[in-house]
Amino acid sequence: MQTSFTAEQLADPQVAESEKILRRCVHCGFCTATCPTYVTLGNELDSPRGRIYLIKDMLENGRAADAEVVTHIDRCLSCLACVTTCPSGVDYMHLVDHARVHIEKTYRRPLIDRMIRNVLAGVLPYPKRFRTALALAKVSRPLAPFFDRLSPLKPLAAMLQLAPTGALRRSDSMQPGSRAPEAERRGRVAILSGCAQPVLDPGINEATIRLLTRLGIEVVVPEGEGCCGALVHHMGKEDPALGFARSNVDAWTREIEAGGLDAIIITTSGCGTTVKDYGHMLRLDPHYAKKAAHVSALAKDVTEYLATLDLPKLNSRELTVTYHSACSMQHGQKITMAPKNLLKNAGFVVRDPPEGHLCCGSAGTYNIMQPEISQQLKARKVKNIEATRPDLIATGNIGCMTQIGTGTSIPIVHTIELLDWAYGGPKPAKLH
Amino acid sequence: MSEAIRFLKPRTAVVARRATIIGDLVDLLPPECVVHEARELVPFETDAFVAYRRLPLAVVLPKTTEQVAAVMRYCHRYGIPVIARGAGTSLSGGAIPQEDAVVLGLSKMTRILEVDPANRTATVQAGVTNLRISDAVSPEGFFYAPDPSSQLACTIGGNIGMNSGGAHCLKYGVTTNNLLGVTMVLVDGTVIELGGKHLDPAGYDLLGLVCGSEGQLGIVTEATVRLIAKPEGARPVLFGFDTSQEAGACVADVIGSGIIPVAIEFMDKPAIEICEAFAQAGYPLDVGALLIVEVEGSEAEMEATLKKIVEIAGRHGVRTVRESQSATEAALIWKGRKSAFGATGRISDYICMDGTVPLGKLSYVLEKTSEIVERFGLRVANVFHAGDGNMHPLILFNANDPEDAARAEEAGNEILKLCVDAGGCLTGEHGVGIEKRDLMRHQYSDADLNQQMAVRAAFDPDWILNPSKVFPLEGRPAA
Amino acid sequence: MTLTPHTENDAAYGIRNAASRGTMLSIMGGGTRSGFGNSVLAEETLSSSALTGIVDYEPAEMVMTAKAGTPVAEIEALLAVNRQMMGFEPMDHRAVMGTAGEPTIGGVFAANVSGPRRFVAGAARDSLLGIRFVNGRGEIIRAGGRVMKNVTGLDLVKLLAGSHGTLGFLTEVTFRVLPVPATVETIVLSGLDDQAATQAMAVAMAMPVEVSGAAHLPQTVRGRFPSVELPDGEATVLRLEGLEASVSVRAEKLCDMMRSFGSVSRLGPDLSRNLWKEIRDVAPYKGFPNKPLWRVSVAPSIGHQLVAALRLEAGVDAFYDWQGGLVWMQMEADPEEQRLRRYIKALGGGHATLVRAPDAVRERLEAFHPECDAVAALSARVKQKLDPDGIFNPGKMAGV
Repeated sequence: MQTSFTAEQLADPQVAESEKILRRCVHCGFCTATCPTYVTLGNELDSPRGRIYLIKDMLENGRAADAEVVTHIDRCLSCLACVTTCPSGVDYMHLVDHARVHIEKTYRRPLIDRMIRNVLAGVLPYPKRFRTALALAKVSRPLAPFFDRLSPLKPLAAMLQLAPTGALRRSDSMQPGSRAPEAERRGRVAILSGCAQPVLDPGINEATIRLLTRLGIEVVVPEGEGCCGALVHHMGKEDPALGFARSNVDAWTREIEAGGLDAIIITTSGCGTTVKDYGHMLRLDPHYAKKAAHVSALAKDVTEYLATLDLPKLNSRELTVTYHSACSMQHGQKITMAPKNLLKNAGFVVRDPPEGHLCCGSAGTYNIMQPEISQQLKARKVKNIEATRPDLIATGNIGCMTQIGTGTSIPIVHTIELLDWAYGGPKPAKLH
Repeated sequence: MSEAIRFLKPRTAVVARRATIIGDLVDLLPPECVVHEARELVPFETDAFVAYRRLPLAVVLPKTTEQVAAVMRYCHRYGIPVIARGAGTSLSGGAIPQEDAVVLGLSKMTRILEVDPANRTATVQAGVTNLRISDAVSPEGFFYAPDPSSQLACTIGGNIGMNSGGAHCLKYGVTTNNLLGVTMVLVDGTVIELGGKHLDPAGYDLLGLVCGSEGQLGIVTEATVRLIAKPEGARPVLFGFDTSQEAGACVADVIGSGIIPVAIEFMDKPAIEICEAFAQAGYPLDVGALLIVEVEGSEAEMEATLKKIVEIAGRHGVRTVRESQSATEAALIWKGRKSAFGATGRISDYICMDGTVPLGKLSYVLEKTSEIVERFGLRVANVFHAGDGNMHPLILFNANDPEDAARAEEAGNEILKLCVDAGGCLTGEHGVGIEKRDLMRHQYSDADLNQQMAVRAAFDPDWILNPSKVFPLEGRPAA
Repeated sequence: MTLTPHTENDAAYGIRNAASRGTMLSIMGGGTRSGFGNSVLAEETLSSSALTGIVDYEPAEMVMTAKAGTPVAEIEALLAVNRQMMGFEPMDHRAVMGTAGEPTIGGVFAANVSGPRRFVAGAARDSLLGIRFVNGRGEIIRAGGRVMKNVTGLDLVKLLAGSHGTLGFLTEVTFRVLPVPATVETIVLSGLDDQAATQAMAVAMAMPVEVSGAAHLPQTVRGRFPSVELPDGEATVLRLEGLEASVSVRAEKLCDMMRSFGSVSRLGPDLSRNLWKEIRDVAPYKGFPNKPLWRVSVAPSIGHQLVAALRLEAGVDAFYDWQGGLVWMQMEADPEEQRLRRYIKALGGGHATLVRAPDAVRERLEAFHPECDAVAALSARVKQKLDPDGIFNPGKMAGV
């Protein structure tokens, strides 16, 4: 596509990169078809092609973001289905990242919006604060219908409705340190302990550590690890996002230098997409560029890593699993076959839901910030999954588990919990 | 941006009333169905023919036929031009608006209204995408045959507007051959139905006239299409040749022998490389030209047909023959082909031509095409529906260099004239749109065009429906 | 008086002349369908019978161009030499309409005449790629071309096809032809009533066996196909065409499925060809010039419902083609126009065209199915744009 940037504008490396991305777009419109918001809202402004155009117009004119542009960019789930679809190879992910940073820098959001965003950015990435917030949410739940009636407060209602109702199990399984292999040693990996996931469902990382150590892998929980930064990154909060990235790069680099790492294992695909992008995020930082690129190269989704370990084939069991591929898994990381092949190999009957490319509406904090669209996508996803009549649902992302879990009575578990179970671990708690 | 093609001058009376018109449209439709903020209009300024752009006055996205009728009644009363838009995938600029026009987008009309297996029909709203029809009827064992490469995104309304074709039209025909009925809003807001689940019209074939009329005769809001039982099996086979001439001659020979495969697609070397880079479909990279020939039916049937085709290809010096070995592989082969245009965007800007020529002239036209493009100092990739002579030279150029863009446009015009002179036509499936409008006199006499315009005026006497398109601006009848 | 131009220019001249004099023209090809539609009120006849000859034929491209007055027989003969055919199987109306003469290719397209393969391979209009015609102003107009895919401008080709000479005088047609299938076979299902037959045909059409003909011949007509002796009982016939190996495989598959509906037998190539030709030409209803004959097009699933409803109130005999969607309906005496049209509307739409009736009957009813007001008005405006003085076949088609 034709672009018109001045040489001066192009001197900014971010703008130069966006220009290169825009030049690839041929405006064919294929992306509209697989975009969850376009499919839901039927307005090109809420499609990748529309957003690309809005971003192009904004950047070319060097204009501050305004309410219209922000509305449509905010509605983007960052599911990256468009990137999978795009024949021209338009790197929409980095374009919309740039736009979000631009918005954050040039647009003043309404007060309530700002407050909610700041609360989310200040709580979710920190397990202790998040745990406290969830406890508060439980008692505030009766307020949800009240918030729901007031448009700017809808996100609060969504937040309360998403918070788990049951007691949260505390787990100290993610204390820093090393877990020795229980079989002949085959490798050494670090695991990203994460932020929200271990609070909401500590069983996922526990299952991962159990399975890997049984397979002869030493698993390290590095000192100093924290949130991957995805949550704030998607809000356009560039500085804190890079801060998280740097501190994780430091933590893992120490491990790499200490004992070497075969992989950095990530059990939440949303985080995986971001960690794999550290190399890009820090490319302009001379102190970190190289280390970050190395870290990104080592980052692996747990199923991606397991696929390299050649697990034995198990007898089939009478359990039908519908595999929900998280957007960050299939579009962000392009991991499509490994999780399903592992489950099949472990004896499960695996089904794909129709419209598997569509987002469930979770998308990080999207289900809080955009509850209406999110609810519609959830209903569509649940309907598609239930049409396949599974005994249970498996997925690789805690966000999707929470989102889909609030819409169906079919149990939803992490892929790794099923694999751990199949290869000698305990039955996942949710299946009891 | 090249400005060789003019648009109609905006109607000053309309532009002057912009604020009033927007206010009235907002009153007519739910709030989420009207787009009018300046920033938000920008993404509607063009379609997939990005060389030309015009901002519309407003965009409406109605949800029902009644809302479409209300908009048409209003625009008709005040002489406001209306541009219908499906998914905006037109390669000829059919959906490019103009400053005094309301874009009427069908993207919120996406309901599949009925699938009727007993009568082999599906009835859908105009904004339903082509591929969704096939997906919806697939559990019943059917598919909808016309398959434009943009079928993932393009809408049935747009398909009707352009009488879209596709790779598999060689056997199953184009949109007009598969369309049974429409609900259509006329320019004055009258809602009519043409056709239905039955065959043939009672009187004049207005449905046939509407199909391919590029939004000039009315706004189609619903369509009933014919479904076909899915074949038992289908298998694309790759035939690699040293030269485009050999491949072209082979196509003519296959058709001449009485075999009609479901599809015969052609790619030259640049196109093969582009598509392989995107789809990793296993196209041979060591050949000069490639044919994708699809056969279908039972195993025995496919074997028999293939054997004959292989024999013919042998006479034309075929270098490699490779059958797809699995459904996944077949899907990849088609994915690569159908993404060809977009994938070209990875290496260059391009404009895509759409002339059709008689099969016997394929090789000749291919050769001349390269000559023309070379003369303009440009490059070309060819990927097209060879079985029906529908060529798609992609002329590669740099959109940020105005001189290059102008050269590309000129080269394109020469290629299209070449197609007409070879006994073919300007456009096989993409439509005239804005792109080929000023070449119409090369194909038609004044009398021919006047007759078409007169018929157009029977539907839209004031020329408010997509008025800058299809017919050259000079020599139009006075409205 | 009959004008018989020998060239397109002559025709244009004659038409200009007639227009200037305000002379109405009756348009004629071979005259074999001259009783079709309403009576024409014209002073002079304009015949295409001297505009003859195949202009161009490229078997390898499957395209033929012929002047409008060229006899269909001549075209079919040349196609046969090259093992090709007109895929839409144009019906020969002579027997059923009791006319003589030679059908012309122009007449075929002017009346959009198709046969049993129409429901899968398209109508005459779907094969028509390009035309030359003279409009009511005497201007020579070219529309379409000679390539399969062509969306350049408005599709006047489709508009002219089936316009029965009311919009223009066709001088030349270019159309697509198809290879003759290597072999043909017919599966006969016996003993099904109309409803069961409709179901069986729908099932067959949903199978991946490429049925290219699906007709139901009730007991009353079964014995009226002179060249084929069908088994006892009603006959539901399904045609398969193609390469021999393929047809036999598909026939097996189809028979297996159809056995659940009734007893199955098969007809070989020769008998099949005869049978489908007789279905095409409506053989059962030839020789009854006084019995009104309707050609009814409805959704396949409602053809039999329409007949069942009418039977309760009227003397009607019928058989079905196009999977049940084309109903040939012969009335005992009264044409039952109102009743027929009312039921068609009630059952979901379609149309009925009177193909044959005694003159007294034809004079008092509308041969073509009336369109709703908005469509009729649109059609009239279209007619006005092609034939402003209304000199072509005045009165032939309703409302235009």
